[in-house]
Amino acid sequence: MAVVGAARRIAYDRVRWVPEIARSTGLSREGVELAFDHHLETDPPDADIDRLVQGTETAPGVHVILSANVFVGALRAIALARAAAPEVSVHASKRDPVFARALVEEMNDPRTFLADVPVETVPSGEVHVYGRDATIAEVRRLARRDVVVRGHGAGMGIVCLSPNADLTRAASGVASDVVAFDQRGCLSPRVVFVEGSAERARAMAGAIHAALERAGREVPRGAMSADEKAEASRYLDTMAFAGTVLRGGSHGIGVSGDGNVLVPPPGRYLHVVAVEDVAALASLVAPIARHVVAMGTDDADRFHLRLPAPLRVTEPGRMQRPPLDGPVDLRSAL
Amino acid sequence: MPEPFDRLACDIARYQAAYVEGYARLCAARAAAPSSFRMALDCPAVPTDAFKVCRVAAFPKEETTRCFRTSGTTLGSRGSHELRDLGSYDAAAVAFGRWSLAHDLSPRAHLVALAPSPQQAPDSSLSHMIDLFVRTFGVKRADAETYFIQGDTLDVAGLDQRIARALVAHEPVLLLATSFALVFLLEALDEAPFRLPNGSRVMMTGGFKGRSREIDEAELRRTLAHTFAVPPRDIAGEYGMTELSSQFYEGTIRDAGARSGVYVEPPWARVVPVDPETLAPVAAGEIGMARIEDLMNVDSAFAVLASDRVKRVEGGFVLVGRATGATPRGCSIAVDEMLGNETGAS
Repeated sequence: MAVVGAARRIAYDRVRWVPEIARSTGLSREGVELAFDHHLETDPPDADIDRLVQGTETAPGVHVILSANVFVGALRAIALARAAAPEVSVHASKRDPVFARALVEEMNDPRTFLADVPVETVPSGEVHVYGRDATIAEVRRLARRDVVVRGHGAGMGIVCLSPNADLTRAASGVASDVVAFDQRGCLSPRVVFVEGSAERARAMAGAIHAALERAGREVPRGAMSADEKAEASRYLDTMAFAGTVLRGGSHGIGVSGDGNVLVPPPGRYLHVVAVEDVAALASLVAPIARHVVAMGTDDADRFHLRLPAPLRVTEPGRMQRPPLDGPVDLRSAL
Repeated sequence: MPEPFDRLACDIARYQAAYVEGYARLCAARAAAPSSFRMALDCPAVPTDAFKVCRVAAFPKEETTRCFRTSGTTLGSRGSHELRDLGSYDAAAVAFGRWSLAHDLSPRAHLVALAPSPQQAPDSSLSHMIDLFVRTFGVKRADAETYFIQGDTLDVAGLDQRIARALVAHEPVLLLATSFALVFLLEALDEAPFRLPNGSRVMMTGGFKGRSREIDEAELRRTLAHTFAVPPRDIAGEYGMTELSSQFYEGTIRDAGARSGVYVEPPWARVVPVDPETLAPVAAGEIGMARIEDLMNVDSAFAVLASDRVKRVEGGFVLVGRATGATPRGCSIAVDEMLGNETGAS
């Protein structure tokens, strides 16, 4: 696919792009480098691309609205649009336009172009919108009646660990998944469920704490806005009251002692909770289930049936590396 | 001579640090040693989220006599505020409710509620407070003649009959209602007038977030004043939350000079706008998160950090709306988006 080639060339020429992407995304330069190295799909297997193409419905044209996404997400969004239609217009995010613009320019294809146009002027075909539920709802409201709107909303990941899980290995994986994009991806884990005792959950939290401390030295967290810091502070204070908090230089972990789940804000914050068994896990996940789009686990069979499908399921450490085989959240039309 | 607020506050906070494990942990996390408390602001505030994820009480569970719960259920957890003795809660609610709404109200007044009765909503602190007012400020009547919300249904005909009786008797009405119920009533009335007797007044509370439609509060007030034929100043907002034991009111009914939208604190409570990150008080006139210090919260959390944004003004504070959370970067779901229509109102 042309867009993958474009991404490959940008990654190769990244020196030119890293500072600008760091500025627009708020990631550290190391965070941007990490994304280029490990999270940008520059060499996807043909089988994945085939699945992506087969999973799309054809349209005469697609207008892509990138409202909120991790920066590499522009590649998948454009790939999906091009798989569906011969002509694709791209409305890059105002906050984070750099990579999307670079991709489109690097593609150098007259049928894939940047277009900052109001959605109500899109005459036909499809609109693919990536953003918050409210943004998607607004796009649906504004779009013409004969335009198909496919919305990809925000989401979150969870980690479920069986009694057999190797906690040290899992912690290292979870830390990698959290550090990627500073946990701002819809697949990023926010809650870690540890099957077993409260003591085991605390051990897992300690292992993640150590892994995040190490990872933070290699890939420092980027800038946090005042509002983001405030949300983090509120979460950590709540968990200091309700359980245990492990505070790192640029991360924090809340450990719930009594099975309560409080989803922390993004920005390298995790909530770790012990669950007695798989049934207990299901009831704890239920209130947040509709937001969960990814699960990292050491035992997919054990947990998968208890959670709503479709989910990206993989082992911790690979949650932020989904194959380029379809929408990142596997939800084709919210 | 009453004890100074700060001294009482520090005593209560020290007591809570001794008997509420979570508060002791929070103090430690904030490096705030209870023995060093000198002013109320030295005492860390407990985020309202804590009431959702754990018990916030300085007494054993078996001594709980009443548990109020928040209405939010989106994430499956409702905040709980347990009390072992309602004496001071009730005395404070009645005292400041009377001062704010009913100081000159006729003892023959008709108390009418557009809110669930305490029988329907036994865990609602709002229903409990309204019940206190109904029993204290007017002539007690049967629930069917007092509460006109049953589940999701508004009994407009029953309300009409009750108001008609008050009109015939030339006795004023104190209408206690949630904003949502008032909107519901206006929709049911479809712009028809619904005059209340002379001297009537309205207390409205709670927001509209996540309800069928949202409406500007000033517009609602104007429409209510017109529909009920009462002066706008006789419609006073109430601000309270399940996690507290005190309430705040707009002072317009009590004080001819009070400004609409300005909430007044009772002498035993303070609302301090704080920087959301540092939790230090913001400069005068700036907007901050509401740190609410409530001396009536003896057995739970003296200082509570709410999600509402407030600003100090002359005579009290104004509500500037709920914190909407950080603007999301990326597609990781924001906490406020996950909370959806959850509110902290009582």
